[in-house]
Amino acid sequence: MTTLAVLLMLLAGAYLVAVLEGWSATGRFRPAGPALSAIALLGRESIVPRKPDRIFFEVAPVLLLVSTMLAAAVLPLGPSLVIADMATGALFLNAALAYVMVALVMAGWGPDSAYAMVAGWRFLGQLVGYSMPIVMAIVGVAMRAESLQNTAIVESQAVVPNALYQPAGFVVFFLAAMCLAFLPPFDLPTAPGELAGGVESEYAGARLAVMRLGRMVLVVTLSAAVTVFYLGGWYGPVLPGWAWSAAKMLAVAAAMLAAGRYVPRLREAHLLAWWWKLGIPLALFNIFYVGVLLLVVR
Amino acid sequence: MILQTLFLGFFGVAAVWFGVVVFRTSSMVRSALALLFSQAAIGAMFLAMQAEFLGVLQIMMMATEMSIMAIFMVMYMMDPGGLGEMEMSHQKRISIAAGVLGTLAAVGVALLADWGTVAAAPPAAEQTERLGTEMLGRSMLVFETAGVTILTAMVAATAVAIEGRGAGVSE
Repeated sequence: MTTLAVLLMLLAGAYLVAVLEGWSATGRFRPAGPALSAIALLGRESIVPRKPDRIFFEVAPVLLLVSTMLAAAVLPLGPSLVIADMATGALFLNAALAYVMVALVMAGWGPDSAYAMVAGWRFLGQLVGYSMPIVMAIVGVAMRAESLQNTAIVESQAVVPNALYQPAGFVVFFLAAMCLAFLPPFDLPTAPGELAGGVESEYAGARLAVMRLGRMVLVVTLSAAVTVFYLGGWYGPVLPGWAWSAAKMLAVAAAMLAAGRYVPRLREAHLLAWWWKLGIPLALFNIFYVGVLLLVVR
Repeated sequence: MILQTLFLGFFGVAAVWFGVVVFRTSSMVRSALALLFSQAAIGAMFLAMQAEFLGVLQIMMMATEMSIMAIFMVMYMMDPGGLGEMEMSHQKRISIAAGVLGTLAAVGVALLADWGTVAAAPPAAEQTERLGTEMLGRSMLVFETAGVTILTAMVAATAVAIEGRGAGVSE
């Protein structure tokens, strides 16, 4: 029952985020857009390029979808609205999302195509930038909750959400999550207008539909992660818990998409320089700052 | 208990199978990713043995490590795509001998050692806490020494790799 409810929320969220993404990319608000493009994609021929690495090519879209769904399974959308409330949930989220990168590298290598391959390795480079800060930001969150369990993390924010308690960590996590979801301005592995769709360039039809769905679920999952780790999860007045979670997730997704609309795409080298020279020191400072708050101030 | 053993066996076989694939393919990237999934299967074995933190950590670390290894192999190897039917094994006799000996030793330890009664696994949260206490206590020196050594190697490698200021194109 819980599983079904969470899956439905994920699907609904993915649809809404797809509408939002279309809106932010084209400037037109089309509520039926994603449904129409899904029908169009499923009706089209799913072309297999010449001499592909067949296993990688077929597995990549499915792996992307499965890894994001696994990550979503440990995030509580309500006090009991969680599929698996693991004792190491905050770490498991990272473990599952690491396979997003594996899926993109496979999708890049599989089709035997230059654009796709460049894009796949680009995302690996991007990972070298964002993966350390995202884990360090979670350390700050886990320190305050004194637990890696995601429900405990939400409960630690009953009074003050982490976005106010540790703003530096919030900024780091938010930007790293955007990098992980390869949203603009960090959309190096798809890079429309430069790499002709990158990792998606050789996919068509049903396979592309699975890949797009996986990407949308990824954005929803990361919005849920920001909500759980920094915005107090299901806490809020009047409305029931799941409604607060949903509203916060949508707001986070909208903020992520809006940010990308006004900022030009970063170059790989600049992205890495920013993460290593500013992002990681900031994340380390956040750990220190939270430690001082916990041990000295309280 | 039976289900646990079944899963343990399944992931064990998967780990060995992916390990075999590492040497059967001719492409560096396929080889690296097969190793990735072999290690991830070992992570799943940890999970089946109720060592939650270790399992999740193994699954997380291996995804990144093996992919980065893959890109390094692509950079350094003459035939990363395996189009030239590249051979993945070398020094075959010694490798086979080492493999057989290693397997025998592992099976021998598994069968001959006196395991005593195996205690039930403590809850996952307690395991994480105990692991943390261990790492910040008795084992701290070991981990810190290893960490600093690796960091030194990283700094040294970077220092060797970058050109002097003004010597080449910066960026």
